[in-house]
Order: sequence, then structure tokens, then C-alpha cells
Amino acid sequence: MTETRTTAAHGGAIGMHGIKKWFGNFQAVDDVTLDIRSNEFFTLLGPSGCGKTTLLRMIAGFELPTEGQVLLDGVDISSLLPNQRPVNTVFQNYALFPHLTVAENIGFGLKMLGKPRSEIDSVVKDMLKLVHLEGRGGNPVTQLSGGQQQRVALARALAPRPKVLLLDEPLSALDLKLRKSMQMELKRLQTETGITFVFVTHDQEEALTMSDRIAVMSTGTVRQVGSPWDIYDRPAERFVADFIGETNFLEAEVVAVSGDRARVRLSSGAEIPATFPADVTPGGKVTVVIRPEHAQVGTPSPASVLRGIIREIVYLGTDTHFHIRLEDGTTFTVRQQNARSGSCGFSKDDAVGISLSDDVAQILRD
Amino acid sequence: MSGAQEAALAVQKQDIRSRWLLSAPALLIIFFAAVGPLLVMLLYSFMAKGDYGDVRFGEFSLDGWVSVFFQRDIFDDTLGLADAHLSIIWRSLQLSFFTTLLTLILGFPTAYFIATRPPHSREIWVFLVTIPFWTNLLIRTFAMQQVIRNEGLLNNALIWLGVIERPLQIMYTDTANLLGMTYVYLPLMVLPLYASIEKLDFRLVEAGYDLYASRLQVLRRIVIPLVKPGIIAGSILVFIPSLGAYVIPRVLGGGKNMMLGNLIEMQFGSGRNWPLGAAMSITLMALVMVALIFYVRNASRGGSSHV
Repeated sequence: MTETRTTAAHGGAIGMHGIKKWFGNFQAVDDVTLDIRSNEFFTLLGPSGCGKTTLLRMIAGFELPTEGQVLLDGVDISSLLPNQRPVNTVFQNYALFPHLTVAENIGFGLKMLGKPRSEIDSVVKDMLKLVHLEGRGGNPVTQLSGGQQQRVALARALAPRPKVLLLDEPLSALDLKLRKSMQMELKRLQTETGITFVFVTHDQEEALTMSDRIAVMSTGTVRQVGSPWDIYDRPAERFVADFIGETNFLEAEVVAVSGDRARVRLSSGAEIPATFPADVTPGGKVTVVIRPEHAQVGTPSPASVLRGIIREIVYLGTDTHFHIRLEDGTTFTVRQQNARSGSCGFSKDDAVGISLSDDVAQILRD
Repeated sequence: MSGAQEAALAVQKQDIRSRWLLSAPALLIIFFAAVGPLLVMLLYSFMAKGDYGDVRFGEFSLDGWVSVFFQRDIFDDTLGLADAHLSIIWRSLQLSFFTTLLTLILGFPTAYFIATRPPHSREIWVFLVTIPFWTNLLIRTFAMQQVIRNEGLLNNALIWLGVIERPLQIMYTDTANLLGMTYVYLPLMVLPLYASIEKLDFRLVEAGYDLYASRLQVLRRIVIPLVKPGIIAGSILVFIPSLGAYVIPRVLGGGKNMMLGNLIEMQFGSGRNWPLGAAMSITLMALVMVALIFYVRNASRGGSSHV
């Protein structure tokens, strides 16, 4: 194992097959099957309590699945102890050893593996450089800022060159600006090291920015796995659409189906094209999802598919949000870019029409 | 000086005066309960001994201090080392050291066990550890005697099991002292250890396992360094009373295995040598001070940085 770890030029692939986890009477994970590819930046995304951290801890070995298998490169590692798995973790609150210096923290894993002093020193030096902490090796970790501690935690987990790096909401304690720059940093580190990253977060923006693929989780199950584009633009179900970004849900009736396109009739009577993931039949009641940025506000005209009254205008610098009450009483949000400076031309209580870009509506699976 | 400044100064003066007044009760207690008796001791140690105990006031003498470490030969009046005293001091130090070590070895797993229980049951365990404190020390010591005496529980059990044929003579040996002190002072080790293990961030233990450390390595490289303040506090709390133990060696150790506490008591009692007793008490205090200095230095070095 030691040999493969030192020569690991590629990240490991993780397989999770039929994983179930019970804590007493509470089921944290309910029959999850996931395949995380080698070299991938994979994100487990979901609200707190959805089981994402439990999954991560099962890959690390801190929890054992009640049922199911965890595979690393096809080999069952379910019964291995954490210190026997070539997998390292970046903990949520970093969990740096407060009694050790920066260099001692980073070198800890290699030391425990019984590496010679000279090798440890050179790896620690490389790691300090990798995370931009040159010359800080002798500092006590307690004197570092949050962002620096974060980078030490990363360096410490990367130093033994694990096949898979697990990151448990590592950015949640940082302020917004630092978080943004660390996102870029993480992506860079993943590309440079070629190690598989499994990242846990509840922040959808973070997930969209960094991931190659995302698994959206809720109440112990995986709801959808796909690229950030898939997840955002082709949500498979209401939970995913609702959790990722802002969304408008509209009740509609299917009028016609052809290929992977359908025509649906909205409550306003307008018919629009929609894509759909599962089988729908004409006459069926469905929910259609439309992202706020795919709709435009204008004066009412025959091109408007929906009509309503502006209840609120929220100016956000780059964008303006219009909260519009539709004729059937539901609220519809439109997000429009502020292309020019100056007023958007509408004010509260104006009657407006909403038009849609082509092919933006999608039917959700129930 | 302006009027405002004068007024401010007056307020400040009054402030200082009221501060003294408010802290007077504490200062009085400290003086009469701690500093005063110590001064009396110090004074007595430099006086000549009276014939029937007590001291002769106003008569300065170094005899008390000299006889802590030296004794006069009864035939030729030359000074030689007081072997009896030195061996008792040495035995006290040794016994206290081993008591500390034994309580640490027994107390650490106990404290670790309690600290890793669910919060509500921790309280019950801590409560159980403190139960012996409800009983008088003398009674606990006699209980220990019942266990280790020749016809006691331990010997009977060992004979019944066929491990030994004749009872082991434990009473009136250093082993008896050691067992007695370990039993009595164990809670003093467990409680500070528990307090510091309970504060231990167990994610650090996880991080250790994650970074390929074995259980022993996690204990040695992570747990022990981080709970060091508790280890030192517990050791001091056990070492100090062990060094001055009186009841336990009196009951379990018998006359042959005296400790410093018994030696001091003897000087004030049948020995009728108060200056010597006073000097020995201060010697004992000095030994304790050395231990405390060790504690303070270690605690400030390793302990405070991550608390």
C-alpha cells in the first residue's frame, strides 16, 4: 500500500455500493450508490443533515456502513481502519494539532508512515510552497489566521499524497472574499496534484464553481448526479431545482409530446415548449421549472406568455430582481441584467408581461 | 493644577482607600490563616527547644535546623549526617513519586473512560469517583487495612485461589503505604485528568488516525501532549499530600515505615523538639515548592498556548 501511495500519479476511484447507515433508530444514509471517478473533483451537495458528511466519513473510515461496500480502485476497503486507508481528510474546523508547528503538522502523516527525516523535510518544503506559506514552517499553528490555517490543513492532508482527498466543508469558516480565492486555489491544487477530491458542502455556488460532477443529496439519498450544468439547467426533480439557485415553479398541463420535447399549457393559457426527463403523457398535470434569468420583463404584448403586476423591485448592482404577482396569484421572479446604468423603466404596481427565451422550461419528475 | 484635576485626584484617592477597605477581609484571612502561622513556624525553627516541649522565647538557636540533616554523636559529640531523618525524607519522596505514578497509570484510563461517555452518564461516573470523599480518611485507611492484612480480603482470596500458601505480609511495609496512598489519592488524579481530557477536541484524535497514526501513536503524540496540563495538575495534587501523609503511614506503615509527616508529628509530641519539628515542616514546604515551581513552569510552557 505504501508503494502505491508514493507512486500514485493518479487519483483513486471511489465506489459506494448500496450504502446504508443507521445511527440507532435514525437512518442517516439510505441505499446510496455512487461512483466517483479517478482525478475528479466530486462534490456532495445538500442541506445539513442530508447524510453527505456521513458518506464522507465512511470513505475516510471514521464510520462503518451498516450495509454496503466502499471500494477504492475496485478493492473493498469497507473494513479497513482510517489509518490503513490511503485517503486523507481536510476537516471542517481544520483540526490542526495545536501543540505542533506548521511544519510538524504538515509532516505528521509522513512521520507516522515512517518516512526518513530527509524525505519529510523536502515534502514539507514543497507543500509549504504549494500553499504559499514559505518560511512559515516554524510558526505555531495557533498564531495563523483562518485562511492560513486552512492552507496548512490542506497541505497536511496532501503531504502523504493520498489517492483521494476528502474535504468536509473546509471553506465554511472563511469570509466571502477568502472563500472565493480558496475556491480557485482548491481547483488549482486538484488539477496540479491529480488527486481525486471529494468535497462536501451545503453551498450550491461553491459546488457549481469547482466541481466536475455534483451529487445532490437529501434525507440520506442521492437525488441527482451530474455536471454543474446538468444540475442547474436540467434538474431532475423539484428538490434539486429548488435547492440549486432560484427557481420559478409553474403548474401546467401537457398538450402534446414529440421526441424529447413537449408542449405545455400554463395557467395563463399560453403554450410553451418544454424538455422533460421522464415519460409524460398529453393531458397530464406537471410542474414546469423556469430559472429567473431565462425570463424577461416587458410591457404586456401578444409575445408575453405570462402577465402580472410588479410587487417588488430589488436592485442588486449587477442584476435587478422583479417579483411579479401573476394573474393566478402565484409569484414569479425575473432576474434581469443591468446592461445600462439608470432606471429599469418599470416601477412597483406596473402591469407587465413576461416573455421567455427559447427552450428554457423543463418538466420535473414528481 | 486645575479644579477638575484636583477633583479627579481626590476621587482616585478615595477609590484606592475603598479598595483597601473592601479587600480587608480577604487580606485578614490570608494573614491569620496562612502567613501568620508560617511566620510562627519560621520563628520557632530558629529558637532553642524547651525541656518539656515548646521553645525558649528569645533564645536564638540553629539547633533545630542543624538536626534536620545532622546528628551529634552521643559519645564524641561530632556532627554526622542524620541517617534516620534523611532515609525518612528519601522514603517519603520515593513513596510519593510511586504513588503519583500509580495513580496516573490507574487514573488516566479511568478519566479517559469517563470523558468518552455520553454527557449525561459522565456526571454519574464523576459522582461515583468522588464518593470516597464522603468518608473520613481514617475510616478509609482502616478499610484498606481490612483488605491487605494477613487475614484480610486480598490474602484470603489469593490463598483460596491457590496463588499463595501463606498470607503475604503487606501490612507495616512500604507496599502498604503505597497501596493506601494510591487508593486514597486516586480521585485527586482522576478529576483534573478528566477535566482536561473532557476538553480534548476528539477531532484531533480523528485527524491523527486519518494521518496514519496507530492507537499508541495517537496517544503519545496527540492525546498526552494535549492533556499535559491535567497530568501535571493531577500529579501535583497527589504528590503534595502524599509527601505530607500522616494518617496512612501511621495506620498501614506502622512504626518502622514512617514518613515525613509522622516524623514531624513526633517532634511536636514525644520528641519534645519543637524547633526541629518546625524546621522539618519548612523543609517539607520547600520540597513542595520545588514541585510547584516545576508545575508552573511546565504548565506555562506547554499548556496555555492551546487552552
